[in-house]
Amino acid sequence: MKTEFRALFVGVAAISLLTIGHAAHAQDKTIKIGALFPMSGPGSYFGAQDKQGVGLALEQLNKSGVNGYKFAVQYEDSSCGPLPATQAAKRLIEQFKPDVIIGEECSDATLAVMPIVDQAKVPLLNAGSSSIKVTEPGNSWTFRIMPNEVMQGINLADNAYKRLNARNAVLLFENTNAGIGNAQVFKDTFTKLGGKVLAEIGFGRDVNDFTSIATRVAGLGKIDVIPTYTLEGQGLKITQALAQAGVTKGGGGDAIQIGTIWLPFGFEQKAGKSALGYIRIVQFDPTETRDAVKDFSTAFKAKYNADPTHLNAHAYDQIMLIADVVKRGGKDAQSIRDGLAATKNYSGVTGSVEFDTNNQNTKMDTVHYMETKPDMSWTSLKWN
Amino acid sequence: MTTTIVLQQAINGVVLGSLYVLVALGLTLIYGVLVQINFAHADFVTLGAFAAYFLMHLVGAGYIVSIGFAFLVGAALGWLINASIFTPLRRKGNELLPLIATIGVSVMMQNLMLAWFGPIPYAFETQYSSEVIRFSGIFVSWQNVIIIAVSSVTIALLYAFMKFTFLGKALRAVSQDRETAGLMGINPNQLIMLTFVIASALAGMAGAMLAPVLVLTPFAGTSVIVKAFAIVIIGGFGNVEGTILAGLIVGLVESYTTQYLDPGLIDIVVFGLLLLMLAIRPTGLISERREENV
Repeated sequence: MKTEFRALFVGVAAISLLTIGHAAHAQDKTIKIGALFPMSGPGSYFGAQDKQGVGLALEQLNKSGVNGYKFAVQYEDSSCGPLPATQAAKRLIEQFKPDVIIGEECSDATLAVMPIVDQAKVPLLNAGSSSIKVTEPGNSWTFRIMPNEVMQGINLADNAYKRLNARNAVLLFENTNAGIGNAQVFKDTFTKLGGKVLAEIGFGRDVNDFTSIATRVAGLGKIDVIPTYTLEGQGLKITQALAQAGVTKGGGGDAIQIGTIWLPFGFEQKAGKSALGYIRIVQFDPTETRDAVKDFSTAFKAKYNADPTHLNAHAYDQIMLIADVVKRGGKDAQSIRDGLAATKNYSGVTGSVEFDTNNQNTKMDTVHYMETKPDMSWTSLKWN
Repeated sequence: MTTTIVLQQAINGVVLGSLYVLVALGLTLIYGVLVQINFAHADFVTLGAFAAYFLMHLVGAGYIVSIGFAFLVGAALGWLINASIFTPLRRKGNELLPLIATIGVSVMMQNLMLAWFGPIPYAFETQYSSEVIRFSGIFVSWQNVIIIAVSSVTIALLYAFMKFTFLGKALRAVSQDRETAGLMGINPNQLIMLTFVIASALAGMAGAMLAPVLVLTPFAGTSVIVKAFAIVIIGGFGNVEGTILAGLIVGLVESYTTQYLDPGLIDIVVFGLLLLMLAIRPTGLISERREENV
């Protein structure tokens, strides 16, 4: 009898230990997310705001985990450029060995990273690069939740022609894959509709003074819209220079500056009255009444004491979409890739997500238009 | 219309050129006296811009006062860094050490500013940024009028200082032949310090003038420094008059390239000009005649 008790005790103890061990092991499981964000150079405002969105998502997810998994993020500075991005991606893959990577923001950097993730067979989830080349041809390991330059460009040109009755346009763009690509799509669509492009003016990222460009634009005659594709810093200077030259509404002219997803929230306040009437696509509309948007905005404000920007929002969505894939069984690079590809009508704070065969999000509800009002606040135009 | 555009672009070019000259003058002064390239010069420009920004936004000072403040901050920083880093390295007798140290100082300053001020661009607006004077189809912002006025006065004062004061003549003597100047009773170390202080003060002031024009981030100065180096080479290393002339030429070349060619070609045209100068007149537009003074 004594021996039977002893055997029973040992058995229960062993089972208990195994159970505890298994539970502990389950809690230790981690999905490793590599983050390629620009944290230095002219695009570093992307990285700063992306990190806030990621931080909030991690805080929420890691309270209880998902399917027994916690989430850990390793950041690398990819500097919005091809060379630093490839170096950062290699460092991440070799040292951190991520299950999935998020980023980059700038198209040139993302395009440079894509062959590396393809070779390493690690999924890359992108939320900020608009170049069509990211998904066409793309590769089977790269996914994009952001509407690409063609989706945005066609929609913007269509709205410029039909809603704003624009017939003459001048294109201003930085000489990068994204800048040139965005401008080209607008031009193709706008001219097909019957509009006329008076000039296409490209410039490097090292241009500081836009007075000369604004002078040239002012000499082109009647202009209805000026689609502009630059990062925030140059965008500010262009908007101010165009107003000083009396071209845009902000300077007493008739032209309206329009743009796709490049600029962060707060741009209007920095640009001042020069930005009056600026209409641009953003990836996140905080005035949406969906619960996901309201909850995100409230949580963000509670954590950072600031209203969220679209960069905060799309970084948050990237992590939350990965968590959704993990919830559906994703546990490593291959299963996360497959889970992303199988995503159907996922509802994020920026809009919904469903990938086509090129891994491009097909949903247009991620395209939100905002217009700058005279008091430098903005209004959501609800065009989509 | 064509005449108006030509004139407008001339004004734009002079404004831009004036800013370049202010940045390049510090570089050329340091090179002239020390025969050393200061890679940290861009960061003195950036720090001057931030000094002016915070004086205006935290203390509520006016823009003109903030330009003076940036000048003083630049001077103080120049003195501090030269005394604590460059002078001890120079005493070791190896010319390479201070040169490498300027790279170190540059990286250190950029990262300190990144930590302090963050990466998000600042909007440096002054009361003059949006005030525009319009006449006969020409527009000039009051900001640009101030840039031209302050730059002209500064350049004139520097020119007068170098040409007519004892210290200025001593500086020129050291730049032409440091050892002989020493034999004449001039203390080269004091003059090197003075050069650093003047050059850094000019950089700080240039930062305050540039800040409303360029994109203010911790990397702001680096966006103009490459052009400033080109201007120093085109003008003739160490030559103040040549630097002024080259700065204005580069500003005008940029404006007219934007108007009649393509802004994407600006760097090709400017650096093409640089290569042309190196090929046909490597001593620059106005070369120093050092040999005659030995």
